Amino acid sequence: MTWDWNFVFQILPDLLVGVWYTILITIGSAAIALIGGLLLAIFENVSTRAGRLVVRFFLGLFKGVPILVLLYFGYYLLPQFGLTLPAMAIGIAVLGLVYAAFCSEVYRGGLITIPAGLRDASVALGLSPYVMWRRVYVPLMIQRASPALINYVLTLFRQTSFLFAIGVPVLIGKAQVAGYQSFRYLEPFTVAGALYLALNIPFLFLLSRFKTKYA
Amino acid sequence: MEASYHSTVAAAKIQAPSAIEFRNVTMAYGTHTVLKDLDLAVQPGEKVTLIGPSGSGKTTVLRLAMTLEKPTGGDIRLFGESMLYGQDGQRLPARDEARMRRRCGMVFQQYNLFPHLTVLDNLILAPSTMRGEAKDKAAHRAMEYLRMVGLEEKKDSYPSQLSGGQQQRIAIARALVLRPEILLLDEITSALDPELAGEVLDVVRDVARETNVTLLIVTHEMRFAREVSDRIVVFEAGRIIEQGTSEKIFTNPSSDRTRAFLQSVLNH
Repeated sequence: MTWDWNFVFQILPDLLVGVWYTILITIGSAAIALIGGLLLAIFENVSTRAGRLVVRFFLGLFKGVPILVLLYFGYYLLPQFGLTLPAMAIGIAVLGLVYAAFCSEVYRGGLITIPAGLRDASVALGLSPYVMWRRVYVPLMIQRASPALINYVLTLFRQTSFLFAIGVPVLIGKAQVAGYQSFRYLEPFTVAGALYLALNIPFLFLLSRFKTKYA
Repeated sequence: MEASYHSTVAAAKIQAPSAIEFRNVTMAYGTHTVLKDLDLAVQPGEKVTLIGPSGSGKTTVLRLAMTLEKPTGGDIRLFGESMLYGQDGQRLPARDEARMRRRCGMVFQQYNLFPHLTVLDNLILAPSTMRGEAKDKAAHRAMEYLRMVGLEEKKDSYPSQLSGGQQQRIAIARALVLRPEILLLDEITSALDPELAGEVLDVVRDVARETNVTLLIVTHEMRFAREVSDRIVVFEAGRIIEQGTSEKIFTNPSSDRTRAFLQSVLNH
């Protein structure tokens, strides 16, 4: 089997569509994960014991069940309960929720490293709980959690490939289609892998910046 | 002698309520009692220093005054008004507590500056978010206080770029921007090297001299305490064992235990 550049250029436009989907899904689910994780961490901190139990249950569920199972549940079972959503929406929601669970742990870790003295200072300055969270705790949580959060978004980006299983045309899905239509798998999968690798670069750049800033 | 001190103060301020008054206050964590039946009244404008061995309950007095803790028993009154109970004897609503809290400011041993905010933003956060002050006006006022503590050129620095002494001066300015009537200083030099402690104490001397703020101080700097205080209150094991003018406490304490404590801190 020899490498065929002509075939590469022939399938490239289609693969780039897959790249586009991959990016869209990464952005959408990362937004849910980063914001939802933050809200979960805050909610867990301020809520009652019962509320905390509910959050714990949710975290356990989404961290404990494989993504593929959740995707199939949303795609094949939800319609049986009368809820039919586009595959892409299900994919974004599942990845977003699963990674919100992971991210909330990271935020929580950031939160417990904030010195108790800053709460005292906030009270002494008469800050309301809202202002304290908004202006003191949340910025510090984000600052402390950022390197680990970037790592999770990077993982999430790679996990978008799972969405192929429910028919979302992500990059690996497009490569698969290109492969079986022509019975040539070398170029589609190699190019897809290279594109996935190339898409890592912005994350690695961000990470190295954080490392030099906070290490 | 103690009695005569109190009667002069009482005669001078017979009408005005105390700036802060602890009535029969008890504070316990589980079975560990930190304060026992504390009665202490501080008059408006008075500079009072609490001294005593560590663990004697001094810091707890300040934390109670700032509502960082709630006492197990007794009442605390700020300018004649209870900080704990409403007129109906029920727990004071949060809104009233917030209103009363504004009259107090506190500076901490560990500075507790917000590490992600510049010096100026540390100073204007509370005025601009909680007091509805316009940002530029708050910044203008903040600069006055930075000048007062001699750090106006540090307004754009982050706390981590400053020495401990500078951070503590900023923390004092941050408390003063809110114009508290009572300023609580909790071992503000204990985390500092002696040469840095000096610059912080100079700032407090200026504040004591130039404003009529009521000062409630916990410190181990005996020379400073003697110089700045109208009255010294000696604590031991959650109780006041003696109080009086700084002159009296430092030259002629009536309690042997005060004498022993002073000896231990002055000779080390």
